[in-house]
Amino acid sequence: MTSRMIVIGAGLSGLMSALALAEAGLRPLLLAKGYGTTYWTGGTIDLLASRRYPNMPLHTALTHLIVAQPEHPYARMELDGIAAAVDRFRTLTKAAGYPYVGGLERNVVLPTALGALRPTALLPATMAAGDVRLGGEILIAGFHELRDFFPPMAAANLQAQHIPARGVYLTLPDGYQRHDYSPRSFALWFEQPNFRQAIGQQLRTLRGTATRIGLPAVLGLRDPLGVVNDLQQISGAQIFEIPTLPPSVPGMRLMNIFHQAITVAGGRIQIGSEVRRGLGAEGVLTHIFSEAAAREQRHHVAACVLATGGIAGGGISTDFRGTVHETALNLPLHAPESRQAWFASRFLHTEGHPIFSAGVPTDDQFRPLDSTGHVVYANVMVAGSALLAGDPVEDRAVSGLALTTGWHVGTLLATSLPAQLAT
Amino acid sequence: MTFIIPSDHIELSLEQSLDHCIKCNICTTACPVSAVTDKFPGPKYVGPQAQRFRRPDQDTPDASVDYCSGCRVCNQVCPTGVHIAELNARARAQIVAQKGLSLRNRLLGHSDWIGRMGASPLAPIANMFLSNGLIRMITEQVIGIARHAPVPAFSRYTFRSWFKHRSAPTAKGTRKVVYFHGCATNYYEPELGRIAVEVLEHNGFEVILAKQGCCGLPLLSNGAFADAQKYHEYNVQQLLPYVKQGIPIVGTSTSCTLTLKEEAPDLLGLHSDEIKLVAENTYDIFEFLRLEHEQGRLDTNFRPVALTLPYHPPCQLRAHRIGRPALDILEMVPGLRLLESTSPCCGIAGTYGVKREKYEIGMAVGAGLFDFVQRSGSDLALCDSETCRWQITHGTGVTSKHPIEILHRAYGLASPSTGG
Ligand SMILES: Cc1cc2nc3c(=O)[nH]c(=O)nc-3n(C[C@H](O)[C@H](O)[C@H](O)COP(=O)(O)OP(=O)(O)OC[C@H]3O[C@@H](n4cnc5c(N)ncnc54)[C@H](O)[C@@H]3O)c2cc1C
Ligand code: SF4
Ligand code: SF4
Repeated sequence: MTSRMIVIGAGLSGLMSALALAEAGLRPLLLAKGYGTTYWTGGTIDLLASRRYPNMPLHTALTHLIVAQPEHPYARMELDGIAAAVDRFRTLTKAAGYPYVGGLERNVVLPTALGALRPTALLPATMAAGDVRLGGEILIAGFHELRDFFPPMAAANLQAQHIPARGVYLTLPDGYQRHDYSPRSFALWFEQPNFRQAIGQQLRTLRGTATRIGLPAVLGLRDPLGVVNDLQQISGAQIFEIPTLPPSVPGMRLMNIFHQAITVAGGRIQIGSEVRRGLGAEGVLTHIFSEAAAREQRHHVAACVLATGGIAGGGISTDFRGTVHETALNLPLHAPESRQAWFASRFLHTEGHPIFSAGVPTDDQFRPLDSTGHVVYANVMVAGSALLAGDPVEDRAVSGLALTTGWHVGTLLATSLPAQLAT
Repeated sequence: MTFIIPSDHIELSLEQSLDHCIKCNICTTACPVSAVTDKFPGPKYVGPQAQRFRRPDQDTPDASVDYCSGCRVCNQVCPTGVHIAELNARARAQIVAQKGLSLRNRLLGHSDWIGRMGASPLAPIANMFLSNGLIRMITEQVIGIARHAPVPAFSRYTFRSWFKHRSAPTAKGTRKVVYFHGCATNYYEPELGRIAVEVLEHNGFEVILAKQGCCGLPLLSNGAFADAQKYHEYNVQQLLPYVKQGIPIVGTSTSCTLTLKEEAPDLLGLHSDEIKLVAENTYDIFEFLRLEHEQGRLDTNFRPVALTLPYHPPCQLRAHRIGRPALDILEMVPGLRLLESTSPCCGIAGTYGVKREKYEIGMAVGAGLFDFVQRSGSDLALCDSETCRWQITHGTGVTSKHPIEILHRAYGLASPSTGG
């Protein structure tokens, strides 16, 4: 108990690392300030969709990137490492009754809540019927009460892209009126057979010539596949989920699945504990300190995964002077030199904003490096958006990067550790 | 009556913390109260959002904040560190400052008054009175305490009287701790105090019983800040001489220790060196034992305890942000398996779930936990907070104990004696 494997961060990368360590019998402790960006994302896993590698199978694009950028985290994992992580994630979600489809063959193109088209590598089976290649007329259905999801607008945008679509609003059944509504309220209601029945009937009436119906991704927390099946039965059309604005119900489902799997395998999850600093000697991290009531909590570190995310996740922070720093262990970063260089000239600039490429430089074992190229701590590895990884936003190598590096680093750490740590 | 909400630097950081809110609604998905009732719109709305409309000289924009149970789940999940629960607690205090405190909440806030009246050789009579259905119905109608809500039974003796008169007083040693027992141990569960003392003594500590009052949490959570401040200042005065000598304060009530550490100083805006010193030297008992173990000083010569038990880390323990110290220690006991509950809250949240208008909400919040405890098939559940133990027993019929009782058993310490 005295020294422990510690994972910092509860995003996809931290969760995958903690799972790998727990399954290796290392009883990791996962510390996080709050929930990760998992609660904000659509729940799809975007591995790579770069304009630099258009019109080719996903694994070919990945191979190109691996050759072109040998220091990219993907290059350090190689295609096999990426595939292993994807496999583990697919078996995990399948076992939990929330299977993901897709893989390294190709990106599937899905409609967003705005009716834009978005490529992704892995998607929950509940979103699969959204694949634009499937053809036929799409009905987009939503609720006035669920904010930021406008079926007519989504349909109009799809039509403008030559995808036949119609948008309709559904009526909340009697007894479901509230002062306020959130994606969670709907998710809980969809778990009730009566609610599903009422909505399914409306969909059947409104369906017309549509063969597929897109609904906001709020179709239950525990058994969304069951909800989709029910609605398909009643409405007579294929049903698919479309990600909403945050909070993300698919993200909540993932968090529940990981929480369960990690704790069952002997890991511990401690949310609400921000790591403020670390203490090391001779290139080894020995302690970390997390924020707690009245005084810091001190943790003795055997080894540590830093999975604190980038600017969005809170792992990288900036201040008015233009300083960019890593928040947990104060590791050296690669970031734009000055504040003036953080942003491109336009908000929606095609090249993206340089500040979002800031990250911790690492060696080929994902250990943090200082400006002279020396390993800072030999027992620390970095995963996810905290990593220096080219331009992840531009490459659309975002949650995919987190998922694969998280698993890779967790397994790497589990196999590279001295045996006495495994209890 | 005017009550000035403190304008100190913590207040400032509280206020500023709402500027960190990015409206992501993660807190809304995690709040156990807004999940079960339409009366409470959720942390984001009553916290960082409504706060913009709260001014000391104006009426508060929305009274729904009173339905916040103070479980602090929102604080823990918020990715940007907004102090939502504190904003809510202060907003409630502002309402109380403007509108006054109801008789019911005044009574609930003063757990020490009630305890002092009931815990005596006449306790059986008081208990009969309290378990009488008619009387409970009248109390519900007149005062507003839910008739089915769990109320603990008074003890015939107080912990303090037992401690003072016990036959084998604590051995004088070089290593000392002050035991903070809190109201519940003193008036309702003196056995727990005895067990904690024996575990500490078993590990070589001299246990000191300092003068102490109620920690003030029931008042804080009912918005009666001015009254709570008196208690806190009294406690600090009593405890200060000990911490100045390097003697730590150790408590078995995780809500009392949280109040000494953080709730009282933060909510009341009290940050003198004395108050900080007491806060920094206060420990939840398993947190303390875990530190002892890290120093290699804890006796880990445990007897097997062949049990599989459900364990609920209460929301007040989670608010310490120290992990699960009870699990860290008890996982070393051979044969013992603890099943950790992931339910955010049992629903009682101190005095919240005993109020007539909130009782049903509390029971709905706790439903997941009750189900977890019942499905475990165990006839014993563990939890570090007294009010939560009473609620678990109320919701499941399963006996609930503080986890220290299992450690006591693992040390093979004497079987329960009757107090005196
Ligand atoms: C609004 C939004 C929508 C997105 N949508 C998509 C999408 O649809 N598809 C996609 O592929 N990607 C999407 N992304 C990107 C994707 O979420 C991230 O790239 C990826 O998930 C990052 O995962 P991570 O594990 O590296 O870190 P994060 O998910 O950022 O998690 C970081 C974790 O570290 C914790 N943390 C940070 N600092 C500390 C500290 N000092 N101490 C303790 N804990 C700390 C945080 O609390 C959090 O738990 C989106 C991002 C955002 C912000
Ligand atoms: S979780 Fe925090 S940042 Fe998000 S809405 Fe709630 S208070 Fe705001
Ligand atoms: S403290 Fe608990 S009840 Fe209050 S808003 Fe936060 S999560 Fe909800």
